Amino acid sequence: MTAAAPSIAGLDELLLTLADDEFVIGFSDSEWTGIAPMLEEDVAMSSLSQDELGHAAALYGLLAEVTGQDADAIAYDREPDEYRHARLLDHGRGDWAMTIARRYLYETADAVRLEALADGSWPPLAELVAKLRREERYHEMHVTTWLQRLASTQGEARDRLIVALEALGPHAGTVFTPLTSEGPLVEGGVLARPMADLERDWRARVDAAFEPLGLPLAPATADPWLGRTQHGEPFRWLWGEFTAVRRSDPGATW
Amino acid sequence: MKADGGDPTLDVWEVFRQEKDGDPMRHGGSVMAPDAELATHYAREMYGRRQESVRLWVVRRADILDLEDPDLLQPPLDRSFKKPGGYVMREKLAAAREAAGQEKPKARAR
Repeated sequence: MTAAAPSIAGLDELLLTLADDEFVIGFSDSEWTGIAPMLEEDVAMSSLSQDELGHAAALYGLLAEVTGQDADAIAYDREPDEYRHARLLDHGRGDWAMTIARRYLYETADAVRLEALADGSWPPLAELVAKLRREERYHEMHVTTWLQRLASTQGEARDRLIVALEALGPHAGTVFTPLTSEGPLVEGGVLARPMADLERDWRARVDAAFEPLGLPLAPATADPWLGRTQHGEPFRWLWGEFTAVRRSDPGATW
Repeated sequence: MKADGGDPTLDVWEVFRQEKDGDPMRHGGSVMAPDAELATHYAREMYGRRQESVRLWVVRRADILDLEDPDLLQPPLDRSFKKPGGYVMREKLAAAREAAGQEKPKARAR
């Protein structure tokens, strides 16, 4: 698939945010490998993480075609401040409740975002999004099952879930951080609607799921323009982990 | 039925898988899960994540009718007369065909 150099401004920014989101949550969740609550869940979470990393690889690949760079270089050779994932994903995986809360907020937001990209005007991205959505459907089923389970188990499970949701709340909406060149993307038909519109839809959907479960609704993002920058210390640590092998022998062929 | 010595909130679920359309369902193995929903997810991950299945059947082990009664399945008296080996048909059939003037049918195309 060769991506005819698109004239739409902002495509590189959009692809970078999509890829970084999938890369960071995929790598972070993969930390459960070997220590998940039970063997079956260990396999499931590891497999889900691999899926996310696969999505990231496909998106970095598309970005590399657009910019003429190398996909691995984009993924691994940037400084921590140059990553453009949502700050929601800067929260470490924490305990199981934190991981489920973070995945739930992210997966539901990603579903709304992918829907808005599915009929986009740039075929390479629209085609990839169609494939991603078929896998993400299962991811959302899996995390919804867990969210409902933790929320409806009185005591420690529910208490931990609420603590996690409250910690994530201020950054919950950052997947919809406005892109600097969002106008051209919407006008060019790559993105169906502005991020602010998508965030409204997402909040309505999450609120409808949370209300019957008595879960705390996410507050409005405090600093919406910083939603994909100023990654803190937990991300610097994660970055150190996922770049360690690459940095150990720069330029090596793996 | 709980797994021996296992978590009392978990059940064993047996998973059958079909490799391609038209194949029989074959037993793949089992997973542990607290309910049908998670059993489905885990069956999918254990027996389908590499696209090795087109269909899965997931059934709680306790819901399977388990028949292993030796009086019913392995009774002690001679049962050889119930086996087709007790009747050697080849010669009788050949003689009957010859009497009727019929050819032996060809093997069916698979």
